[in-house]
Amino acid sequence: MESWRLLSFGKADAVENMAVDEAVFREAIRKRVPPTLRFYSWRTPTVSIGYFQEARREIDLEACRRLGIDFIRRPTGGKAVLHDREVTYAVIAGADHPLFPPDILRSFRVISGCIARGLRAIGIKAEMKAGGRAASDESLRTSCFSSPSRYELLVKGRKICGASQMRSHGVLLQHGALLMAFDPEKTCAILLPHRDPERQAALLRDSVTAVEEQAGRPVDERQLCRVLREGFEQGLGIRFVEAPLTPDEETLKRELMAKKYSSENWNVEGNKSWISGY
Amino acid sequence: MKIIPDDLLYSREHIWVRVEGDLATIGITDYAQEKLGEIVSLDLPEVDADLERDEPFGSIESAKAVVELISPVSGVVISVNEDITDDIGIINSDPHDTGWMIIVEMDDPEELDDLLDTRGYQEFVIQETEVD
Repeated sequence: MESWRLLSFGKADAVENMAVDEAVFREAIRKRVPPTLRFYSWRTPTVSIGYFQEARREIDLEACRRLGIDFIRRPTGGKAVLHDREVTYAVIAGADHPLFPPDILRSFRVISGCIARGLRAIGIKAEMKAGGRAASDESLRTSCFSSPSRYELLVKGRKICGASQMRSHGVLLQHGALLMAFDPEKTCAILLPHRDPERQAALLRDSVTAVEEQAGRPVDERQLCRVLREGFEQGLGIRFVEAPLTPDEETLKRELMAKKYSSENWNVEGNKSWISGY
Repeated sequence: MKIIPDDLLYSREHIWVRVEGDLATIGITDYAQEKLGEIVSLDLPEVDADLERDEPFGSIESAKAVVELISPVSGVVISVNEDITDDIGIINSDPHDTGWMIIVEMDDPEELDDLLDTRGYQEFVIQETEVD
Protein backbone atom coordinates (compact mmCIF):
# COMPACT_ATOMS: atom_id res chain seq x y z
CA MET A 1 0.00 0.00 0.00
CA GLU A 2 1.33 3.43 -0.95
CA SER A 3 2.46 5.73 1.88
CA TRP A 4 1.79 9.45 1.95
CA ARG A 5 3.15 11.94 4.44
CA LEU A 6 0.80 13.56 6.92
CA LEU A 7 1.69 16.98 8.31
CA SER A 8 -0.37 16.93 11.50
CA PHE A 9 -2.89 19.58 12.45
CA GLY A 10 -1.47 22.78 13.88
CA LYS A 11 -2.23 26.49 14.08
CA ALA A 12 -0.06 29.08 12.39
CA ASP A 13 -0.46 32.59 11.06
CA ALA A 14 -1.45 33.24 7.46
CA VAL A 15 2.08 33.97 6.21
CA GLU A 16 3.44 30.70 7.55
CA ASN A 17 0.43 28.67 6.40
CA MET A 18 0.77 29.73 2.78
CA ALA A 19 4.57 29.47 2.84
CA VAL A 20 4.45 25.88 4.14
CA ASP A 21 2.04 24.81 1.41
CA GLU A 22 4.07 26.39 -1.36
CA ALA A 23 7.35 25.04 0.05
CA VAL A 24 5.95 21.50 0.02
CA PHE A 25 4.57 22.08 -3.49
CA ARG A 26 7.93 23.34 -4.83
CA GLU A 27 9.80 20.47 -3.22
CA ALA A 28 7.27 18.02 -4.68
CA ILE A 29 8.06 19.47 -8.13
CA ARG A 30 11.70 18.58 -7.45
CA LYS A 31 10.50 15.08 -6.48
CA ARG A 32 12.13 15.37 -3.06
CA VAL A 33 9.04 14.77 -0.91
CA PRO A 34 6.25 12.18 -0.99
CA PRO A 35 2.60 13.06 -1.69
CA THR A 36 1.46 15.01 1.34
CA LEU A 37 -1.72 15.86 3.22
CA ARG A 38 -1.59 18.73 5.67
CA PHE A 39 -4.26 19.90 8.12
CA TYR A 40 -4.09 23.30 9.73
CA SER A 41 -5.93 26.21 11.22
CA TRP A 42 -5.31 29.94 11.49
CA ARG A 43 -3.91 31.63 14.59
CA THR A 44 -5.59 34.90 13.64
CA PRO A 45 -8.78 35.16 11.57
CA THR A 46 -7.64 35.73 7.99
CA VAL A 47 -9.28 36.51 4.70
CA SER A 48 -7.48 34.86 1.81
CA ILE A 49 -8.08 35.76 -1.81
CA GLY A 50 -7.43 33.74 -4.93
CA TYR A 51 -4.34 34.20 -7.02
CA PHE A 52 -6.06 36.34 -9.65
CA GLN A 53 -8.39 38.40 -7.46
CA GLU A 54 -8.03 42.16 -7.15
CA ALA A 55 -7.53 42.90 -3.46
CA ARG A 56 -8.70 46.51 -3.31
CA ARG A 57 -11.74 45.90 -5.51
CA GLU A 58 -12.97 42.81 -3.69
CA ILE A 59 -11.89 43.11 -0.04
CA ASP A 60 -12.48 45.97 2.43
CA LEU A 61 -8.90 46.09 3.71
CA GLU A 62 -9.73 48.88 6.18
CA ALA A 63 -12.52 46.77 7.70
CA CYS A 64 -10.04 43.87 7.99
CA ARG A 65 -7.65 46.09 9.96
CA ARG A 66 -10.48 47.38 12.16
CA LEU A 67 -11.75 43.85 12.90
CA GLY A 68 -8.29 42.36 13.48
CA ILE A 69 -8.51 40.13 10.40
CA ASP A 70 -5.29 39.31 8.54
CA PHE A 71 -5.18 39.38 4.77
CA ILE A 72 -3.24 37.18 2.36
CA ARG A 73 -3.19 36.12 -1.29
CA ARG A 74 -3.16 32.36 -1.88
CA PRO A 75 -1.06 30.70 -4.58
CA THR A 76 -4.22 28.78 -5.57
CA GLY A 77 -7.17 30.00 -7.62
CA GLY A 78 -10.76 30.65 -6.63
CA LYS A 79 -12.32 33.39 -4.54
CA ALA A 80 -12.16 34.97 -1.10
CA VAL A 81 -12.48 32.87 2.06
CA LEU A 82 -12.70 34.10 5.65
CA HIS A 83 -10.72 31.55 7.66
CA ASP A 84 -11.91 31.86 11.21
CA ARG A 85 -13.11 28.71 12.94
CA GLU A 86 -12.05 26.26 10.29
CA VAL A 87 -9.99 23.21 9.41
CA THR A 88 -8.02 23.78 6.23
CA TYR A 89 -6.43 20.98 4.27
CA ALA A 90 -3.72 21.00 1.62
CA VAL A 91 -3.10 18.06 -0.69
CA ILE A 92 0.17 18.07 -2.60
CA ALA A 93 0.68 15.25 -5.10
CA GLY A 94 1.67 14.55 -8.68
CA ALA A 95 -1.17 15.58 -10.97
CA ASP A 96 -0.04 12.59 -13.03
CA HIS A 97 -0.44 10.30 -10.00
CA PRO A 98 -2.53 7.28 -11.02
CA LEU A 99 -5.10 8.31 -8.40
CA PHE A 100 -5.77 11.63 -10.12
CA PRO A 101 -7.33 12.06 -13.56
CA PRO A 102 -5.49 14.65 -15.67
CA ASP A 103 -8.42 17.00 -16.02
CA ILE A 104 -8.85 19.48 -13.23
CA LEU A 105 -12.53 19.10 -12.41
CA ARG A 106 -12.27 15.36 -12.02
CA SER A 107 -9.29 15.69 -9.67
CA PHE A 108 -11.48 17.93 -7.47
CA ARG A 109 -13.99 15.08 -7.48
CA VAL A 110 -11.44 12.55 -6.21
CA ILE A 111 -10.48 14.73 -3.25
CA SER A 112 -14.07 15.78 -2.50
CA GLY A 113 -14.93 12.08 -2.33
CA CYS A 114 -12.36 11.59 0.44
CA ILE A 115 -13.67 14.59 2.41
CA ALA A 116 -17.28 13.39 2.04
CA ARG A 117 -16.25 9.95 3.32
CA GLY A 118 -14.64 11.54 6.37
CA LEU A 119 -17.66 13.73 7.09
CA ARG A 120 -19.94 10.70 7.00
CA ALA A 121 -18.03 9.30 9.98
CA ILE A 122 -19.33 12.18 12.10
CA GLY A 123 -22.84 11.92 10.72
CA ILE A 124 -22.69 14.57 8.00
CA LYS A 125 -23.99 13.50 4.62
CA ALA A 126 -22.32 15.77 2.08
CA GLU A 127 -22.99 15.48 -1.63
CA MET A 128 -21.04 16.73 -4.59
CA LYS A 129 -22.36 19.61 -6.61
CA ALA A 130 -23.26 18.00 -9.91
CA GLY A 131 -23.69 20.89 -12.31
CA GLY A 132 -21.56 23.90 -13.14
CA ARG A 133 -21.00 27.09 -11.27
CA ALA A 134 -24.04 28.98 -10.00
CA ALA A 135 -23.43 32.17 -8.08
CA SER A 136 -26.28 32.82 -5.68
CA ASP A 137 -26.08 36.57 -6.07
CA GLU A 138 -23.95 38.85 -8.20
CA SER A 139 -23.13 41.09 -5.23
CA LEU A 140 -21.48 38.09 -3.54
CA ARG A 141 -19.39 37.09 -6.50
CA THR A 142 -16.14 37.64 -4.55
CA SER A 143 -16.92 35.01 -1.90
CA CYS A 144 -15.81 31.43 -2.41
CA PHE A 145 -18.67 30.03 -0.38
CA SER A 146 -21.42 31.93 -2.17
CA SER A 147 -20.98 29.95 -5.39
CA PRO A 148 -20.47 26.21 -5.32
CA SER A 149 -18.47 24.85 -8.23
CA ARG A 150 -18.78 21.41 -9.73
CA TYR A 151 -17.70 18.61 -7.37
CA GLU A 152 -17.62 20.87 -4.32
CA LEU A 153 -19.46 19.55 -1.26
CA LEU A 154 -22.95 20.56 -0.25
CA VAL A 155 -25.21 19.53 2.61
CA LYS A 156 -28.88 19.95 1.68
CA GLY A 157 -27.84 22.40 -1.04
CA ARG A 158 -25.60 24.51 1.22
CA LYS A 159 -21.85 24.53 0.66
CA ILE A 160 -19.73 23.04 3.43
CA CYS A 161 -16.31 22.79 1.82
CA GLY A 162 -14.67 25.05 -0.77
CA ALA A 163 -11.56 24.12 -2.71
CA SER A 164 -9.04 25.56 -5.15
CA GLN A 165 -5.86 24.38 -6.86
CA MET A 166 -2.50 25.36 -8.19
CA ARG A 167 -0.61 23.24 -10.70
CA SER A 168 2.89 23.36 -12.09
CA HIS A 169 5.30 20.87 -13.61
CA GLY A 170 2.77 18.07 -13.18
CA VAL A 171 2.21 18.64 -9.45
CA LEU A 172 -1.01 19.84 -7.85
CA LEU A 173 -1.65 21.72 -4.63
CA GLN A 174 -5.28 21.66 -3.55
CA HIS A 175 -6.50 23.90 -0.76
CA GLY A 176 -9.80 23.17 0.91
CA ALA A 177 -11.63 24.91 3.73
CA LEU A 178 -14.08 23.17 6.06
CA LEU A 179 -15.88 25.68 8.23
CA MET A 180 -16.41 24.56 11.83
CA ALA A 181 -18.78 27.49 12.33
CA PHE A 182 -19.86 30.26 9.98
CA ASP A 183 -20.37 33.96 10.64
CA PRO A 184 -22.10 35.52 7.60
CA GLU A 185 -22.15 39.05 9.08
CA LYS A 186 -18.39 39.04 9.62
CA THR A 187 -17.86 37.69 6.11
CA CYS A 188 -20.04 40.40 4.58
CA ALA A 189 -18.24 43.09 6.58
CA ILE A 190 -15.01 42.43 4.71
CA LEU A 191 -16.28 41.65 1.21
CA LEU A 192 -16.80 44.35 -1.39
CA PRO A 193 -19.06 45.70 -2.68
CA HIS A 194 -21.11 46.50 0.46
CA ARG A 195 -24.51 46.79 -1.16
CA ASP A 196 -27.09 45.53 1.26
CA PRO A 197 -25.20 43.84 4.13
CA GLU A 198 -28.29 42.37 5.75
CA ARG A 199 -29.52 40.85 2.53
CA GLN A 200 -26.04 39.61 1.66
CA ALA A 201 -25.70 37.97 5.08
CA ALA A 202 -29.09 36.31 4.67
CA LEU A 203 -28.11 34.98 1.26
CA LEU A 204 -24.85 33.64 2.62
CA ARG A 205 -26.64 32.00 5.53
CA ASP A 206 -28.90 30.24 3.03
CA SER A 207 -26.04 29.05 0.84
CA VAL A 208 -23.35 28.13 3.39
CA THR A 209 -23.28 25.70 6.28
CA ALA A 210 -20.68 24.48 8.77
CA VAL A 211 -19.53 21.28 10.45
CA GLU A 212 -20.91 21.97 13.91
CA GLU A 213 -24.27 23.11 12.57
CA GLN A 214 -24.64 19.88 10.61
CA ALA A 215 -23.24 17.62 13.33
CA GLY A 216 -25.55 19.28 15.84
CA ARG A 217 -22.81 19.41 18.47
CA PRO A 218 -19.37 20.92 19.07
CA VAL A 219 -16.73 19.06 17.06
CA ASP A 220 -13.11 18.99 18.09
CA GLU A 221 -10.77 20.04 15.25
CA ARG A 222 -8.43 17.11 15.88
CA GLN A 223 -11.33 14.68 15.80
CA LEU A 224 -12.38 16.13 12.46
CA CYS A 225 -8.82 15.74 11.15
CA ARG A 226 -8.82 12.08 12.26
CA VAL A 227 -11.97 11.22 10.32
CA LEU A 228 -10.79 13.18 7.29
CA ARG A 229 -7.48 11.31 7.40
CA GLU A 230 -9.39 8.04 7.38
CA GLY A 231 -11.53 9.34 4.52
CA PHE A 232 -8.37 9.90 2.45
CA GLU A 233 -6.91 6.53 3.43
CA GLN A 234 -10.05 4.66 2.45
CA GLY A 235 -10.85 6.81 -0.57
CA LEU A 236 -7.39 6.64 -2.10
CA GLY A 237 -6.27 3.26 -0.77
CA ILE A 238 -3.20 4.74 0.91
CA ARG A 239 -1.83 5.02 4.42
CA PHE A 240 -0.36 8.07 6.09
CA VAL A 241 2.93 8.36 7.92
CA GLU A 242 3.23 11.40 10.17
CA ALA A 243 6.44 13.30 9.49
CA PRO A 244 7.61 16.91 9.77
CA LEU A 245 8.83 19.23 7.01
CA THR A 246 12.24 18.37 5.60
CA PRO A 247 15.15 20.79 6.27
CA ASP A 248 14.91 21.98 2.63
CA GLU A 249 11.20 22.65 3.04
CA GLU A 250 11.89 24.59 6.25
CA THR A 251 14.48 26.72 4.47
CA LEU A 252 12.18 27.39 1.54
CA LYS A 253 9.28 28.14 3.89
CA ARG A 254 11.33 30.84 5.63
CA GLU A 255 12.35 32.31 2.29
CA LEU A 256 8.74 32.37 1.04
CA MET A 257 7.56 33.93 4.30
CA ALA A 258 10.12 36.72 4.06
CA LYS A 259 10.05 37.44 0.34
CA LYS A 260 6.56 36.57 -0.82
CA TYR A 261 3.82 36.10 1.73
CA SER A 262 4.83 39.03 3.98
CA SER A 263 4.99 41.29 0.96
CA GLU A 264 2.30 43.83 0.15
CA ASN A 265 3.55 43.62 -3.39
CA TRP A 266 2.28 40.03 -3.57
CA ASN A 267 -0.66 40.17 -1.16
CA VAL A 268 -2.29 43.44 -2.18
CA GLU A 269 -0.81 44.39 -5.53
CA GLY A 270 -0.78 40.84 -6.83
CA ASN A 271 2.55 41.40 -8.47
CA LYS A 272 3.59 38.08 -9.94
CA SER A 273 7.08 38.83 -11.10
CA TRP A 274 8.11 35.38 -12.16
CA ILE A 275 10.60 34.62 -9.44
CA SER A 276 12.76 31.75 -10.54
CA GLY A 277 14.51 29.48 -8.11
CA TYR A 278 11.58 28.39 -5.95
CA MET B 1 -7.90 12.53 -30.48
CA LYS B 2 -7.39 16.25 -30.20
CA ILE B 3 -5.84 18.41 -32.88
CA ILE B 4 -2.03 18.18 -32.96
CA PRO B 5 -0.76 20.17 -35.97
CA ASP B 6 2.35 18.71 -37.57
CA ASP B 7 4.14 22.04 -38.13
CA LEU B 8 4.65 22.64 -34.39
CA LEU B 9 6.89 21.27 -31.64
CA TYR B 10 5.51 20.32 -28.22
CA SER B 11 6.71 20.26 -24.62
CA ARG B 12 5.71 17.74 -21.98
CA GLU B 13 4.14 20.72 -20.18
CA HIS B 14 1.60 20.94 -23.04
CA ILE B 15 3.06 24.04 -24.65
CA TRP B 16 3.40 24.26 -28.44
CA VAL B 17 6.20 26.11 -30.24
CA ARG B 18 6.23 27.45 -33.79
CA VAL B 19 9.82 28.11 -34.91
CA GLU B 20 10.82 30.75 -37.45
CA GLY B 21 14.57 31.33 -37.41
CA ASP B 22 15.52 32.20 -33.85
CA LEU B 23 11.96 33.24 -32.99
CA ALA B 24 9.61 30.91 -31.10
CA THR B 25 5.87 31.56 -30.98
CA ILE B 26 4.37 29.87 -27.92
CA GLY B 27 0.90 28.82 -26.76
CA ILE B 28 -0.94 25.99 -24.99
CA THR B 29 -2.06 22.89 -26.84
CA ASP B 30 -5.59 21.92 -27.75
CA TYR B 31 -5.26 18.93 -25.40
CA ALA B 32 -4.26 21.28 -22.55
CA GLN B 33 -7.14 23.69 -23.12
CA GLU B 34 -9.57 20.80 -23.14
CA LYS B 35 -8.21 19.43 -19.85
CA LEU B 36 -8.31 22.91 -18.30
CA GLY B 37 -11.85 23.75 -19.33
CA GLU B 38 -13.00 27.35 -19.65
CA ILE B 39 -10.07 29.67 -19.01
CA VAL B 40 -11.11 32.71 -16.96
CA SER B 41 -7.87 34.55 -16.09
CA LEU B 42 -4.47 34.95 -17.64
CA ASP B 43 -1.13 36.46 -16.70
CA LEU B 44 1.59 36.85 -19.31
CA PRO B 45 5.03 38.48 -19.10
CA GLU B 46 5.74 41.89 -20.57
CA VAL B 47 7.78 42.56 -23.67
CA ASP B 48 11.54 42.45 -22.87
CA ALA B 49 11.05 39.98 -20.01
CA ASP B 50 13.77 37.33 -19.77
CA LEU B 51 12.55 33.75 -19.83
CA GLU B 52 14.34 30.65 -18.65
CA ARG B 53 13.61 27.22 -19.97
CA ASP B 54 11.53 25.09 -17.55
CA GLU B 55 10.55 28.15 -15.49
CA PRO B 56 7.08 29.73 -15.44
CA PHE B 57 6.41 32.47 -17.99
CA GLY B 58 2.85 33.09 -16.90
CA SER B 59 -0.23 31.46 -15.49
CA ILE B 60 -3.86 30.82 -16.30
CA GLU B 61 -6.90 30.03 -14.19
CA SER B 62 -9.78 27.74 -14.97
CA ALA B 63 -12.15 25.85 -12.69
CA LYS B 64 -10.56 27.48 -9.61
CA ALA B 65 -7.15 26.09 -10.54
CA VAL B 66 -4.13 28.26 -11.30
CA VAL B 67 -1.78 26.57 -13.74
CA GLU B 68 1.73 27.85 -14.28
CA LEU B 69 2.80 28.02 -17.91
CA ILE B 70 6.28 26.56 -18.27
CA SER B 71 8.59 28.01 -20.86
CA PRO B 72 10.05 25.46 -23.28
CA VAL B 73 12.91 27.81 -24.25
CA SER B 74 15.14 30.53 -22.79
CA GLY B 75 15.17 33.98 -24.33
CA VAL B 76 13.59 37.43 -24.41
CA VAL B 77 9.90 38.13 -24.97
CA ILE B 78 9.53 40.32 -28.07
CA SER B 79 5.75 40.20 -28.47
CA VAL B 80 2.67 39.42 -26.35
CA ASN B 81 -0.73 38.63 -27.88
CA GLU B 82 -2.95 41.49 -26.71
CA ASP B 83 -5.99 39.97 -28.45
CA ILE B 84 -6.18 37.12 -25.93
CA THR B 85 -5.96 39.46 -22.97
CA ASP B 86 -8.99 41.27 -24.43
CA ASP B 87 -10.87 38.05 -25.28
CA ILE B 88 -9.54 35.19 -23.21
CA GLY B 89 -11.96 32.71 -24.81
CA ILE B 90 -9.75 32.62 -27.90
CA ILE B 91 -7.34 30.34 -26.02
CA ASN B 92 -10.08 27.73 -25.72
CA SER B 93 -11.52 28.20 -29.20
CA ASP B 94 -8.33 28.50 -31.27
CA PRO B 95 -5.32 27.54 -29.13
CA HIS B 96 -2.87 26.80 -31.94
CA ASP B 97 -3.41 29.87 -34.08
CA THR B 98 -5.02 33.13 -32.94
CA GLY B 99 -4.68 31.91 -29.32
CA TRP B 100 -0.87 32.22 -29.41
CA MET B 101 0.56 33.79 -26.25
CA ILE B 102 4.05 35.17 -26.73
CA ILE B 103 6.93 35.35 -29.21
CA VAL B 104 10.38 34.74 -27.78
CA GLU B 105 13.77 35.51 -29.30
CA MET B 106 15.59 32.35 -28.30
CA ASP B 107 19.00 32.34 -26.60
CA ASP B 108 19.80 28.81 -27.68
CA PRO B 109 17.76 27.14 -30.43
CA GLU B 110 19.39 23.82 -29.48
CA GLU B 111 16.95 23.75 -26.55
CA LEU B 112 14.33 22.83 -29.15
CA ASP B 113 15.99 19.41 -29.47
CA ASP B 114 14.26 18.33 -26.24
CA LEU B 115 10.78 19.04 -27.62
CA LEU B 116 8.46 16.47 -29.17
CA ASP B 117 7.18 16.32 -32.72
CA THR B 118 3.52 15.61 -33.48
CA ARG B 119 3.90 11.86 -33.19
CA GLY B 120 5.93 12.08 -29.99
CA TYR B 121 3.38 14.40 -28.40
CA GLN B 122 0.52 12.19 -29.51
CA GLU B 123 2.16 9.23 -27.76
CA PHE B 124 2.83 11.35 -24.67
CA VAL B 125 -0.83 12.38 -24.48
CA ILE B 126 -1.99 8.78 -24.93
CA GLN B 127 0.23 7.71 -22.02
CA GLU B 128 -1.15 10.49 -19.84
CA THR B 129 -4.71 9.62 -20.79
CA GLU B 130 -4.20 5.96 -19.91
CA VAL B 131 -4.20 6.82 -16.19
CA ASP B 132 -7.45 8.72 -16.71
